[in-house]
Amino acid sequence: MDQNNSLPPYAPGLASPQGAMTPGIPIFSPMMPYGTGLTPQPVQSTNSLSLLEEQQRQQQQQQAAQQATAQQATQGTSGQTPQLFHSQTLTTAPLPGTTPLYPSPMTPMTPITPATPASESSGIVPQLQNIVSTVNLGCKLDLKTIALRARNAEYNPKRFAAVIMRIREPRTTALIFSSGKMVCTGAKSEEQSRLAARKYARVVQKLGFPAKFLDFKIQNMVGSCDVKFPIRLEGLVLTHQQFSSYEPELFPGLIYRMIKPRIVLLIFVSGKVVLTG
Amino acid sequence: MAARGRCPECGSEALVEDSHYAQQQLVCASCGCVVSEGLLTTTYTEEEQLREVAYSQSTGQKEQLSRCLQRGIRRVQDLCKVLQLPGAFEETSVSYFQRALQHPRFHLLSLEKKELLGGCCVFVTCRQHNWPLTMGTICSLLYAKQELFAGVFLSLQKELGLSVPALSLADLVKTHLNGFRLCQRPADVPAPFVEDKEQLVTRTLQLVELAGETWLVTGRHPLPIVTAAAFLAWQSLRPCPRLSCSLARFCQLADLDLPPPARLRLSELLDVLLRMASQLAWLRVFRLDKKSVVKHVGDLLQHRIFLLRNAFCQEGEEERGEADPGQGPPPAQQKGHPSERSGRRPLLPPCLLKPRKRLRTAAPSAWEAAVTGDEPISDGEIEQYLRSPEEIRAFRRAKAWQ
Repeated sequence: MDQNNSLPPYAPGLASPQGAMTPGIPIFSPMMPYGTGLTPQPVQSTNSLSLLEEQQRQQQQQQAAQQATAQQATQGTSGQTPQLFHSQTLTTAPLPGTTPLYPSPMTPMTPITPATPASESSGIVPQLQNIVSTVNLGCKLDLKTIALRARNAEYNPKRFAAVIMRIREPRTTALIFSSGKMVCTGAKSEEQSRLAARKYARVVQKLGFPAKFLDFKIQNMVGSCDVKFPIRLEGLVLTHQQFSSYEPELFPGLIYRMIKPRIVLLIFVSGKVVLTG
Repeated sequence: MAARGRCPECGSEALVEDSHYAQQQLVCASCGCVVSEGLLTTTYTEEEQLREVAYSQSTGQKEQLSRCLQRGIRRVQDLCKVLQLPGAFEETSVSYFQRALQHPRFHLLSLEKKELLGGCCVFVTCRQHNWPLTMGTICSLLYAKQELFAGVFLSLQKELGLSVPALSLADLVKTHLNGFRLCQRPADVPAPFVEDKEQLVTRTLQLVELAGETWLVTGRHPLPIVTAAAFLAWQSLRPCPRLSCSLARFCQLADLDLPPPARLRLSELLDVLLRMASQLAWLRVFRLDKKSVVKHVGDLLQHRIFLLRNAFCQEGEEERGEADPGQGPPPAQQKGHPSERSGRRPLLPPCLLKPRKRLRTAAPSAWEAAVTGDEPISDGEIEQYLRSPEEIRAFRRAKAWQ
């Protein structure tokens, strides 16, 4: 552990994706795999997202064990270094007995240019809660037929002009429109969303329509995390006035619209943050 | 009628206003030269009336604006007059309103929302000049639902790119207590209830500040806190006759609204004060409860910085204090002793102290983590979602499909 503190959090040469996969990882600073406060990747990887996806998946088993120790180490330091979000907060160390709530990173989020220097990565990884994606099935659909012949479909044309279909694994909901476009919500990762959308397309295929799987696109991702200390929202709105909107009469949280990357954060006084975009 | 002035040709003063067909001309009566013609008249054409016409009426300025815009501007101006805002606010609000209505987003709003738009512009202007106006006030003036108002306000803020500074609680306290009936002397209020406004406002401000420091204000609606603080301040200024008065009765006498969260805020504030009182040397001998601590609010506020530091520990810090006379019982350990009233508890917002939700950490299963998105999908899995032919027949019979 001592050598971790003596090393700078980012030894530039080390953070190459290939280098990260060598078994030499445990020696280096536990903060290395984490970019800035929110991303589970090194900062420099701005273009090779797919490369990192592979790297992440292969690393997940390796990192699961390391992360348990890494979280405990970084949470000690994150308790003292103020993070992006607050201006005058009381930093509280994490309560003992709470195991790290965020196991191995599920999916990489898009890398961001950090507002704080790279040395202040907090090791907090947001958990994905919801992914919204759309896909084009490529043919016109008869919603009445679908509603009649599928068990998991509901269709109420007076209320909404689409069939609402649900599947159990992955637990998702889809809105299927008569034009052939479909919206899939509720998945917890991009891969699950893609798998779920394929399953819906398969169901529609089996119902007799020539469904294809065109233009699958993730529209929105929602994640949440906890920074583990209370946040003075009124101070934050003073310092980051051009980005934040805090109306206690309307909503107890502060709405922070980050420009780069284009993400909206809902920041609450308890330290819980919801990220969407 | 002879107009004033001299004829430039002959110098005579006999100038007459005459009209040549439809054009007004000023003609000299002696030499007949036309001094001027086509004057913009400021009087009605009926010269006997000699009434002045406002610039806006004679120049057709109003006709350039659509009727909807005119009505909206008039409503904004009325709102400003009702709220007794300075003149500059009115101009700013009207300009915001005009800008907003030009936006395609607001052009096609429903009539109901257009009415709210005027109120939003006034609200934004007040906020920008730090004039404490709450949304509740505007909504009640416009007879609007608050959700609708909130939606229009947020979209206005986004479309026009306005920066709306936060509501200042201190100003809100002052304006909220402006209409405080107990500072005047109405007949139905007993004498011991009447209070001096300056003192009341000062003490309320201090209590609100204390609430702010102890995390009771962040994220919550400001008005219930102000009401609760005003009640406490009023009680503490003359405790003996006023302790028996309840919050509801107080609001009724003072002609203030009693919002439902005010009771909770009051109990939270009292809890904070009790903890502070436990650190004050000369109060420790008393067994204080929520009623009796009111008598000592003055002292508590005076020493609040010291008391706050001692009554609440910061988690993760060893607050083993300096040699203070009021140390008394050793500070409790950081993570424990919730039972003792005099034990230190961390200074956290109430939502963290009493979490109502069980933290559900849905740890993703191993399968979910390993999903690639391109796995083969078995037919059996899909079949389970399809109805069998018998089911379809039964449904067809049972339900008449529209």
